[in-house]
Amino acid sequence: MRRPPSRPAIRRLAFAAAAALVLQPQAAHAHAAERGFVLLLPTDYYLFGGGLAVAISFLALALLPPAPLLAAARRRLPLAAGRPRGRALVSGLSFLVLCGLVLAGFTGSRDPLSNPLPLTVWTLLWVGLTVLQGLVGNLWAWLNPWYGPWRLASRLARRLTGRARPPLRLPRRLGHAGAIAFFLAFAWFELVDPAPDDPERLARAVAGYWFVTFAGTLAFGYRAWTRRVEFLSVFFAMIARLAVVETSRAGRAGRRRLALCLPGAQLSGARPLPVDGALFLLLALSTVSFDGLMATFAWLAAIGVNPLEFPGRSAVMAHNTGGLLAMFAALAGAFFAAVALGARLAGGGPPIAAQAGLLVWSIVPIALAYHVAHYLVVLAVNGQYALAALSDPLARGWNLFGTAALHVRAGIAIGADSAWIVWNLQAAAIVGGHVLAVVLAHLMAFRLYGDARRAALSQLPLAVLMVAYTTFGLWLLAAPTGL
Amino acid sequence: MTDIGSKGARRAGGLTRRGALKGMGAAAGLALGPGFVRYAQAQSSEPIRIGFQAHRTGIGAAYGRWYERVTEAAVARINEEGGINGRPVEIVVEDDGTDPARGAEVVEKFANQHKTDIVYGTLFSHVVTGSAPAAGELKMPYYVVSEGYHVASGRLNRWVVQPGITDVRSQVTSVAPWISGNLGKKVTMIYPDYAFGHDHRDFFEPAIAAQGGEVIAKVPIPPTESSFTRYFPQIPSETEVIYHVMVGPAVLTFVKEMGDFFGSGGPALFGFIDSLEAVALSSPGLEFLEGSHFWEGMARYAQPDMPDYERAYREAVGIDDSGASLDDPKDVSTAAHMFGCWETLYVIKAAMEMADYKGPDDRAKVIEATEAMSGFDAGINHPQGAKRFNGKLHQCFGHQNISLVENSALKVVHRTSIEDGLYEPEADYTAQPF
Repeated sequence: MRRPPSRPAIRRLAFAAAAALVLQPQAAHAHAAERGFVLLLPTDYYLFGGGLAVAISFLALALLPPAPLLAAARRRLPLAAGRPRGRALVSGLSFLVLCGLVLAGFTGSRDPLSNPLPLTVWTLLWVGLTVLQGLVGNLWAWLNPWYGPWRLASRLARRLTGRARPPLRLPRRLGHAGAIAFFLAFAWFELVDPAPDDPERLARAVAGYWFVTFAGTLAFGYRAWTRRVEFLSVFFAMIARLAVVETSRAGRAGRRRLALCLPGAQLSGARPLPVDGALFLLLALSTVSFDGLMATFAWLAAIGVNPLEFPGRSAVMAHNTGGLLAMFAALAGAFFAAVALGARLAGGGPPIAAQAGLLVWSIVPIALAYHVAHYLVVLAVNGQYALAALSDPLARGWNLFGTAALHVRAGIAIGADSAWIVWNLQAAAIVGGHVLAVVLAHLMAFRLYGDARRAALSQLPLAVLMVAYTTFGLWLLAAPTGL
Repeated sequence: MTDIGSKGARRAGGLTRRGALKGMGAAAGLALGPGFVRYAQAQSSEPIRIGFQAHRTGIGAAYGRWYERVTEAAVARINEEGGINGRPVEIVVEDDGTDPARGAEVVEKFANQHKTDIVYGTLFSHVVTGSAPAAGELKMPYYVVSEGYHVASGRLNRWVVQPGITDVRSQVTSVAPWISGNLGKKVTMIYPDYAFGHDHRDFFEPAIAAQGGEVIAKVPIPPTESSFTRYFPQIPSETEVIYHVMVGPAVLTFVKEMGDFFGSGGPALFGFIDSLEAVALSSPGLEFLEGSHFWEGMARYAQPDMPDYERAYREAVGIDDSGASLDDPKDVSTAAHMFGCWETLYVIKAAMEMADYKGPDDRAKVIEATEAMSGFDAGINHPQGAKRFNGKLHQCFGHQNISLVENSALKVVHRTSIEDGLYEPEADYTAQPF
């Protein structure tokens, strides 16, 4: 008997067959998806109106004194104070849940919409938790699966070696380079890899990343690693600055105060990020933007792909890798150029890097807005799949939470009415995010220049960029898509 | 393990999503499932493992969802009836991402990792064409439900069969007599300018000519187009019928702009429901389709004269009288195509039983048994209707529905004969060695 052909041989066969496709007759089923209903909506008016709303916000701010805004940003409604306990325990439990999910990835259902691992990672964590972080604050500090295990391991190590400090120091000059590299790898896996939803493939990636991070926290210390290398902690901490719940230290060590504030109020007093920190934030925004762009007819036409018979991710990996990097480069270039030009218009001020490091915080609401708008439907539909899958994580017929037999209602995202509702929510998120960004940038500029007129002048190029990005963001959600 | 065919999988009015095939844990132990107790006495309780190559993600995901539901319903029913040769059927789902390269990898995984007995699936032609060579190399029976002409064209191999759905050439050929007899003989074709549209163009032109009709103009539309008004002046004024097969997200815009262009008049319209599969016909923008006709593989809307077995099939797959999910009326099914999954699974069952399938060594026998079939009677196993099967072509032929859009619903006004869809065969797979 002949040996079965090897994997590369199969791949060659597949590519040969795919290459021959152009010559072959075939049926296509590109589906008049929900984007079809959006194409019928007067989205051009929204694009124009959205841009206009952001522009008018900027002009209004330029004319108004910043004092009332600063006062509003300082307002707090105290909720509670105390010494929170149990962080290590919560994180430890989260670690156990992660172990279960990884086990499910290896041994559970092969179907990415029935296996809880891809649904938890891509829908609950990447989409859902990001939104929660932006609303209520840094839950990830408690929920991450490293803090608990690290506490345990580092205590053991201290008992054994008598050393309290981690054995190695993370070089300061590395800055956020580690987080940028890991975020890029993550984004590439999500957007370019042919099968990021494949449970086993994802389980390997998740387990590998957990070990690397755990080793990193032990070697370089938890604080250093999670502030500069572990990209989820860096990203989630940045997004959490937008939240309406603030935790701050209150006097005696360990005591914390919980208070309500306005969205973005925590950011208005933020310290400037170093350039590499600013780049990290811009990378986060550019990847979500590229996720939208790469599905559009415009992008597919640009890379020579027929959107009605999309040849699959494996056929566009090189193009999408290039696109992902180009999007980052374009956004970062535009942002720094706008800041530099603004400084020039205003005449001097602090160094460009310092200005950019402060002003980049205004990107946070835009990043969150893109996240909400772009993944709204995913969250609504795949969130249901996640509920079902978590009740029977190993596909053994269990019903742990009574949701295993849930009928997934894809209909909430289907049809003209849903398309209208979804589109309006998306547009509101995009425009709202940008308006908040303009407000924040205005406050930051006032901090930088201490003078309302110069602050407004310095903001002019950035405001133009934000108007353009509003329109671009709305266009991404309105344009015909092939995926 | 999941509970194939057990009560746990059932619910009034249909099946739950995860009942039969939530993807079967790769390492999950079958013996644990309460649903399998009944098979304990069977000659061999070892399940038949069918690899389901599914479009769970990617461009085909909307179809994949319904292909999964129908597969789930059919497998539950087959298991209730005692499985295949007394053995329970287990479905192993792998996502192909609607990607030809991954499709081939999935076939390889089924063969080498999951050790499935056969592979079944998938819809998109490029995935079928990309996966077929792997199936041939691995000597893995590959039952496809894609309606492409690629199987009957002879370009694939002996391990690939399409017994549960007719191909596009047959569909296009079969509607020509009715169009020429009822709508008109002067036809203008509007189609997307790539392989799918070209198939319609190339197959329909000779078919309508054979009926004494004529394609008087062809209006190819670039696939990236999302506005169409400027193409409509190319439609000659003497046109009696517009044959349209646009697909993709801009279809609704296409219909709306056609309505704006023609107003209340214009030529008769004939389309393929592929354009609007899974889209409610009451959607805004589609008003212009009222009074026009569509090809439907199987009727989306319940018809008054529907046979009992068709009613039973609709109930089993969980669709209401409008062809939408019983649990979720906005979730319109892919009714015109998805019956192919149900019927293919029943052909697989029949072929395995005919071949007295014992294990992977008998895979070639399953293909031979399928090739030996000549047709299928209408009934609950073949609810779309009777089929003729050409073992040399590996392709079935059947009746097609022509439906009128009336009150934003589809009413079947004509059913073509099987003969209407026959064409001169171009292949003989039985001449190929295994």
